[in-house]
Amino acid sequence: MQADKPDSHVVGTSVGRSDGVAKVVGTARYVDDLPKRPGELHGVTVRAPVARGTLRAVKFDPSFDWSDITVVQAADVPTNVVAVIAYDQPVLASTAINHAYEPIVLLACADRAKLARAKLAVHLDIDPLEPVLDIQTSLSDQNVVWSAPDGFGDKGTNVMKRYLITKGEADVDAEHARCARVVSGTYSTHQQEQLYIEPQGVVAWWDDDGAHVIGSIQCPYYVHKAFLKTFGLDAERIDISQAVTGGGFGGKEEYPSIIALHAALLAKKSGRPVRMIYDRAEDIEATTKRHPCECEVTTGCDADGTLRVLKMRVLMDAGAYVTLTPVVLSRGVLHAAGTYRWPTVQIEAIAVATNTPPNGAFRGFGAPQTIWAIERHMDAVAAYLGVDPMDLKRQNLLVEGDTTATGQVLRMSVSSTACLEGGLSAARYAERKRELDLENQARAQRGERKRLGIGASIFMHGAGFTGSGERMLKGKAALDLLPGGGLRIRTASTDIGQGTETVFRQIASDASGVPMEHIDFAVPSTKVCPDSGPTVASRTVMVVGSIVERCAREIGDAVKAEQARGGGSFAQAGDRLLTKGPVTVLRQYEPPDFVKWDDTTYKGDAYPCFAWMCDVAELEVDLDTFEVEVKRFHIAGDVGKAINPKMCLGQLEGGTLQAIGWALSEELVWRDGLIKNPRITNYIVPTALDAPPFETALVEAPFEFGPGGGAKGIGELPMDGGRRRSPPPSSTPPGSPCTTCRSPPSAFTPRAWAGRSANDNLPEGSQPRVDSTQAQRSAA
Amino acid sequence: MTIADLASVPFERAGDLASLCARVGELADSEQPFVLLAGGTDWMVEQELRKPFAAGAEPRVIDVSRLDKLREIRLEGNVLSIGAGVTYWEMRNSPEVRAHAPLLERMARDVGAIQIQARGTLGGNLATGSPAADGVAAVAAYDAILVVQSRRGVRRIPMSELQTGYKASTREGDEIFVAVEILLPGPDARWYWRKVGTRRAQAISKVALGGVARVEAGQVVRCGLGMASVAPVTALLPRTRELFLSTKLEKIGPVQLDKAVDSDISPIDDVRSTGEYRLHVAKSVVRDFARALGARV
Ligand SMILES: Cc1cc2nc3c(=O)[nH]c(=O)nc-3n(C[C@H](O)[C@H](O)[C@H](O)COP(=O)(O)OP(=O)(O)OC[C@H]3O[C@@H](n4cnc5c(N)ncnc54)[C@H](O)[C@@H]3O)c2cc1C
Repeated sequence: MQADKPDSHVVGTSVGRSDGVAKVVGTARYVDDLPKRPGELHGVTVRAPVARGTLRAVKFDPSFDWSDITVVQAADVPTNVVAVIAYDQPVLASTAINHAYEPIVLLACADRAKLARAKLAVHLDIDPLEPVLDIQTSLSDQNVVWSAPDGFGDKGTNVMKRYLITKGEADVDAEHARCARVVSGTYSTHQQEQLYIEPQGVVAWWDDDGAHVIGSIQCPYYVHKAFLKTFGLDAERIDISQAVTGGGFGGKEEYPSIIALHAALLAKKSGRPVRMIYDRAEDIEATTKRHPCECEVTTGCDADGTLRVLKMRVLMDAGAYVTLTPVVLSRGVLHAAGTYRWPTVQIEAIAVATNTPPNGAFRGFGAPQTIWAIERHMDAVAAYLGVDPMDLKRQNLLVEGDTTATGQVLRMSVSSTACLEGGLSAARYAERKRELDLENQARAQRGERKRLGIGASIFMHGAGFTGSGERMLKGKAALDLLPGGGLRIRTASTDIGQGTETVFRQIASDASGVPMEHIDFAVPSTKVCPDSGPTVASRTVMVVGSIVERCAREIGDAVKAEQARGGGSFAQAGDRLLTKGPVTVLRQYEPPDFVKWDDTTYKGDAYPCFAWMCDVAELEVDLDTFEVEVKRFHIAGDVGKAINPKMCLGQLEGGTLQAIGWALSEELVWRDGLIKNPRITNYIVPTALDAPPFETALVEAPFEFGPGGGAKGIGELPMDGGRRRSPPPSSTPPGSPCTTCRSPPSAFTPRAWAGRSANDNLPEGSQPRVDSTQAQRSAA
Repeated sequence: MTIADLASVPFERAGDLASLCARVGELADSEQPFVLLAGGTDWMVEQELRKPFAAGAEPRVIDVSRLDKLREIRLEGNVLSIGAGVTYWEMRNSPEVRAHAPLLERMARDVGAIQIQARGTLGGNLATGSPAADGVAAVAAYDAILVVQSRRGVRRIPMSELQTGYKASTREGDEIFVAVEILLPGPDARWYWRKVGTRRAQAISKVALGGVARVEAGQVVRCGLGMASVAPVTALLPRTRELFLSTKLEKIGPVQLDKAVDSDISPIDDVRSTGEYRLHVAKSVVRDFARALGARV
């Protein structure tokens, strides 16, 4: 007899989500729903009210009754550093205040109303210092606001990290001089808040076994690492578990270490469990956001549009501490050249410190910033050459056998053409362009005040950790055989709403032959699950999923072998094996052999493979109010192999909507380093009513090392596109400053509008430099 | 603040309007803080934004959401009376409102999203008195009369006399909004509603315009305007209205109209938008309204 499930495959089918019912009926317990532990206290944080300064003293109002309030300050922290990459960020600020909302004092009390009053009874005596709040000021190094920890940055400057990618001719300027057409532009992107629906929160307590934390976290082992350093505990005395998590998007990658350390410090000092849950305003103010970025791009091409040379400078604003900036900047530069063939490349990338809260992980991890720049720039080059942007992109598109900016030869699973052509033909791009032109002319004649436009983009996203990252990381996963023929999956990969739990069960089911309903998914916890690496970088399905697949196949095969030997059902055979002791398979990820990467020269195979996608958007712009409505949206996205097609659509469309929000409505309003709109009412993410009708086609170009027959990572991919592309002048609705990604309606004014039309009239000449910054300047 | 948190404040429910007036008067006399709770969609948000109350200083919360008197929609002759406790959802679905004051129905669709429409009331919108209030802008376009009541009896306040400054009004501290009365402009009246607010649900107006007009032989003979988010109060645009009432539509030009709007408002920058954008949009929507009436602007 075979396994109980001989031929039916669940991979490739849209089975319902394992976590769906509990979330819909409300039985899923998010951290704030967890029952109160005996004696539990609430914890709150007193934060810096200025962007930069020196803390002289903390005063506690003597008229307030502090008797039932636990107070923690910097001096109470065993090793006052948050361990991420560099050790420059304190758990609590002691003297130097480097950004607004920096935590200074922690308070805990059983009575929440009293706790709120206690917060007001703490007075911070601060001498303010001149802050640095933007990239250019920071780069000038006139006011150095960051001191480089060993091994990081340029000493005595604000520069935290640099990269340089080169390819082809050494003298890029000479290459430009040889080109028939040279175009320059500067493209900037603004911050974005993850705005997961559930704010950050944890419960922490201590007992004889050590420290315990349960919370809304993406990466339990990051928190584990932070506890090792700050508390100096042995690894097995730290127990970090995930509660049901209401979204992360990177926002719960590194930040939870801080809130967990804070809660654990209060718990240790009070001897009681402590619950800390941020409200929305605190969450938006204090936690990480997408790095602001400026890209200066100069490209040269032949008169026929063949690209010759790319020179680019990528500048990112890291905020006050390093956190994950080096990695974000790395992914940014590795995607900066877009999906195009460039014989000669020079990309310089620099991240600088400012006095804003540290920017950090966010879906796409630097790539959306640089891809926006190169895509926008290609549109400008096309406008200058007088060709359709998609024709120019097609002409220079990377295909199998081509070499990327880092010298990586694209060997397998290259679906650039399939995505580009699939997207354009599904959207009837060329015809629609003509139709919309005619419609716009008719509307103008009728005196109507709305115009239509169409734009498209093509992009790719590397799946898994960069270069040698996966080899160094050694991610692990384990599977246990359970009595009755069931399995349990143990990984540290968290389901934060994206569907990990369901997809892993699908993969394990097909690989082992055990029906999905007999496969458990252990709650990710450092006590129970091996370190699979973090839940980031589009790696969960492709990398950890492939370890799960291998473990499941091995366990399934072992049980089937026993079945062949001793007969009976799969379950009976499994139970026989279990009489001899636990049956567990623990395996480590083995990256494909061909991946060769040199971290010092930044050359080689940046990623084992890329996922590709083409977006086509139709928009309507109101010429009076500058409101933009996305009318239709076509996606052709390559997922390698769709393990669960419906959830793939969810990722591609949801991620695209998040990108649309970034472009059209989301904007943090800063004043003197403080955020003026830390609320859902005025930090405007799109609602369901703002979502365009999506028409999404899944392209499948299997990656032979991916699970389930070739799945690739797609979590971040859609975030690289989605943003509005101003189409070429013929059908461009006026009023769109073309060099900033940001365009909430009020960014437009009659003046910006004038700037845009000026920019449409590109200068003539043999070696013109199209200065795309014009529109931006006139908008400012 | 959540509904569950209401359990942490002193709470009572009004039985009928008369006893509510008495109770409110008594609390006002003794200078005890209190708040009337209708839908809670403004007040509960304010609780998030304010400083914590001193121990024992929490206001008494009086639930008025179940007072029948405040929930009536009545048509008497050519006056439509809408109770202060009527929700946006009820306005959307009321046959009387849809037939006689369609601008209110249209406005109600643009408020928050269905969850807010189901709880938020016209009375709460008026009492909070935010310049961004959509309901107040729409009511202003009808030149509504606001009926308030206290121990001292009933008083009628014309919309043009209600607001005196940012969140300040001529309503006394113990006066309760009972109803909004609208003298109907007639079935052939024109109405206009346009809300500009960045997204299509859960948006606070950057600019919203409600307009009501009767046109006879190319001349506007009744005109009411209410504009949200361009001034410390709901802007009634008196000079623009005067222009409409004094000039044949065919004689109204775009420059003249823009000038009138310019003299009526000088919007400011805030986190939601800029003064420049607001002024530009205000002019654009007023022109749009004028075009809808037949002016060539
Ligand atoms: C997510 C969200 C979206 C929103 N969107 C919009 C929008 O699009 N447009 C808009 O205009 N508003 C919007 N609002 C604000 C709010 O919903 C409205 O102002 C609503 O009309 C308030 O009514 P309520 O019954 O909920 O008021 P409550 O919160 O119950 O009360 C508000 C104030 O009015 C007083 N009050 C209530 N009833 C009376 C009465 N009969 N007499 C005297 N005083 C009274 C209360 O004491 C309190 O001070 C939104 C709010 C939220 C939370």
